[in-house]
Amino acid sequence: MARTLQKIGDDGPLVRPDAVEAQIDAALTLTPQPLLARLAITDPRDADHLRSETLVHLVRHGRRTGDQGLISLVLPVLLARCEANLIVKVPDGQLPEAATVREDILGEFSELFASDGTGKDPAELDFYECKFNRAFRFFRIDVVRREAGQLKHVAQMPEPDEDSEPEPHDEVFARVSEAFRSPAMQDGDVFRSELHDAILELPPDERDAVILVHALGYQEESDDPGEETAATRCDCTGRTIRNRLTRAATKLARFKEDL
Amino acid sequence: MTPTLTASPPELREALYALSIAKDVPDAALLDDVVRRFPQFGGELTNFAIAIAIDALHGDAVVEAAEAALDPNVLSPAVSRAMSRFQNRLHAVSEPTRLPAATVRSVSADAINPFASLSREDFRGFARRLDASSVFVAKLRDRQIEPDTLTPGFRKRVADNLHAPLDVIVAHFAAAQGGAAGPQFYKADGKPNNGGRQTFEEAVRSSGLSEAQQRALLAL
Repeated sequence: MARTLQKIGDDGPLVRPDAVEAQIDAALTLTPQPLLARLAITDPRDADHLRSETLVHLVRHGRRTGDQGLISLVLPVLLARCEANLIVKVPDGQLPEAATVREDILGEFSELFASDGTGKDPAELDFYECKFNRAFRFFRIDVVRREAGQLKHVAQMPEPDEDSEPEPHDEVFARVSEAFRSPAMQDGDVFRSELHDAILELPPDERDAVILVHALGYQEESDDPGEETAATRCDCTGRTIRNRLTRAATKLARFKEDL
Repeated sequence: MTPTLTASPPELREALYALSIAKDVPDAALLDDVVRRFPQFGGELTNFAIAIAIDALHGDAVVEAAEAALDPNVLSPAVSRAMSRFQNRLHAVSEPTRLPAATVRSVSADAINPFASLSREDFRGFARRLDASSVFVAKLRDRQIEPDTLTPGFRKRVADNLHAPLDVIVAHFAAAQGGAAGPQFYKADGKPNNGGRQTFEEAVRSSGLSEAQQRALLAL
């Protein structure tokens, strides 16, 4: 029986998905040889493939019970998956020392298991038993942002004065919004990858406006003072948001050709 | 919208986890909800929601393909080093006392690792003082260099820069490598040799150091 999670979420204690819970219960009964065979399965579509959430639980179980053998079997497999993830998500060229950053993330993540049950957040790994990929996404982005922050101090340019009301650019942003709403498909990867790079190249203020309005779905501004909008999130006026969107639209104009 | 420069405090991590866990791509309703729960982190949460949305553009299909292509019989050097960090941290957590004044002469894998308690910033600071790359310092930390090939001057420089007793440094380098109990496999970077260790010169030459940095370290 898998140990109950300790972390408290918005709706009470975190709960693993049923499928994860059932797989953990079964995995805890495996002897080393069958476990090794299951660990060797890398295809997630295989019914015997062990989920990363399950691997996290097994390593934590080994940590709690002092079962070094179990840790030595499972943790390298989990870390190898993380490394594969990092090679895709933190590719060479994204940061000056991408390889070092990947290694830092992997090392820091491995240390979470050693510190499990101790320190200021003893149940941090509970998140990884519920939604591994989303939890690891936080971990990765957090380290990359810290690293990028140390490397690049962007000088904020003054906002250009623009007296006229900005033009709407619905045709440009229609495709942008669609890319954020639709799940990634293999045949759309090139477009999404190019859009990803183009958005990263936008000045931060313009990029934030585009994402808040066209990915997260905020209104540019609202007459209701209690409503959060892109303007309130960026602590500026609705007109400023529209100006930023206009400038961003010019830079993203090539994407409307795919409409 | 300034970038975060230091490790996030636990309360902020909690808030960011909540945002990241809830959906593949956050939307306005989710962000508003998490900001209501953690109002002190409104700006950080907004920045993070934007970062997640951009990240999600890449999708997970490529990641899944990369994971599916893993060779279960091969442990990469990066994973091997991460396992070593796990073992070092485990040792530090189990033995909370920092560097003892008493001399440490053990050559077992249990020797104190003076790098284990370094924070990320400390680690980078040490690399800067040594005028070396993080990759090279990771080799020192993970005992990947043949101890007999380290020069006395280099050992003393490490001890001085780490503010640790020379005996502790000598014992650390002499100790057996920690890491995974299972077999070690190497895919590409670095030829396997005596337990995966390199000579001092090999380590210096293969760590992305400039010619000047290499000369300075080898001259110690």
